[in-house]
Amino acid sequence: MKTSELIDALAGNAIAQRRAPIAPPMIVAMLVGVGVSVTLLLAWLGVRDLNTATATSAFWMKSLYTGSLAIIGFMLVRRLARPGGSAGPLPFFGFAVLGIMAILAVFELARTPTDGIAKLLVGHTLKMCSIRIIALAVPTYAAVILVLRRMAPTRLGLCGAAAGMLAGGAGATIYGLYCDETAATFVTAWYTLGIAVCAALGAWGGRYLLRW
Amino acid sequence: MAKSETELKVLMLSGLGGDSDSYRRLLEALGGFLRAMFRRRLSQNDGEVEDLVQETLLAIHVKRGTYDPALPFTPWAYGIARYKLLDHFRRRGVRRMVPIEDASELTAGENPEEGAVRHDITALLARLPARDQRLVRDLKLTGFSIEEAAARAGMSAGAAKVAVHRAMKRLEKEVRHEDL
Repeated sequence: MKTSELIDALAGNAIAQRRAPIAPPMIVAMLVGVGVSVTLLLAWLGVRDLNTATATSAFWMKSLYTGSLAIIGFMLVRRLARPGGSAGPLPFFGFAVLGIMAILAVFELARTPTDGIAKLLVGHTLKMCSIRIIALAVPTYAAVILVLRRMAPTRLGLCGAAAGMLAGGAGATIYGLYCDETAATFVTAWYTLGIAVCAALGAWGGRYLLRW
Repeated sequence: MAKSETELKVLMLSGLGGDSDSYRRLLEALGGFLRAMFRRRLSQNDGEVEDLVQETLLAIHVKRGTYDPALPFTPWAYGIARYKLLDHFRRRGVRRMVPIEDASELTAGENPEEGAVRHDITALLARLPARDQRLVRDLKLTGFSIEEAAARAGMSAGAAKVAVHRAMKRLEKEVRHEDL
């Protein structure tokens, strides 16, 4: 086929085209993913006593941290879902949020006697924390990828990483409904590790799953 | 043939609105840009280039709903062109880098005449001694001031002025001679 024939065919097909919106299907995907993850959490681990939890600042600190990362991931995905989309200043905000969390951890460590530091870092659920966050991120990642496949990302690794970060942030926030660790040091280390692994796996998966 | 961001965007917007005439003109312009861009990137295999041009035009058509009218058009089109080019490399098992930010590459081949003119000037400049070549290039083409051009050549502004004047005289003479 000659290129001019292709152009004829395409131009003849130029009926008014509606914009493909990205935010509404993304929000639906996130709600579905989060719903599945919460159900998974209830069936698997249960939730902690939320009346007690919501009265503590540690609960809100954790939720705010992981929730912010999820929102930044969402904003990144929105930009990267379109051809030519770039990350813009958003990675900077992500690192700023991490930096604030790390500063809280440093203050916590500074006022803790030396023999208490290990306990802050290790908590009592160290072995499972990051892995559970990753498991709870899977449904949201899958839902977001399904939406992205209908869009046209052109930087697949980066877009996949953003989807992983979004899903990891959501998974970590959901895990916070169960996890009763309260130390900022613990959250900075292990929640961050869980979300970072989600972003890395997301980048790897994006390179294959997002091809079009 | 030279189409700017504004013109392309206008064509795209009316194309999205269902105006098939604008849409055809957009695709034709893009086809030209893509052909030039892919030719620069691929070895001189015209069949391969043309296949990739068609594939990219088709992708632009299929994904045209993902264009956000609030954003410039060229980076969007370049994003698809770059993606299709990298995809092509990947399928052939080659690893290549294509810059991400340089959307102007898409429209770089827009004006073949400009390239021809630049070629002629280069050929003409080559007849001058190296020092004068650089002075003329800095002052007349790159846009340095006489002081800056003089500093780059390591001479005083006055001397540079005289040298450029003589060089231009000589070029004029060469051109006139050729015209005859």
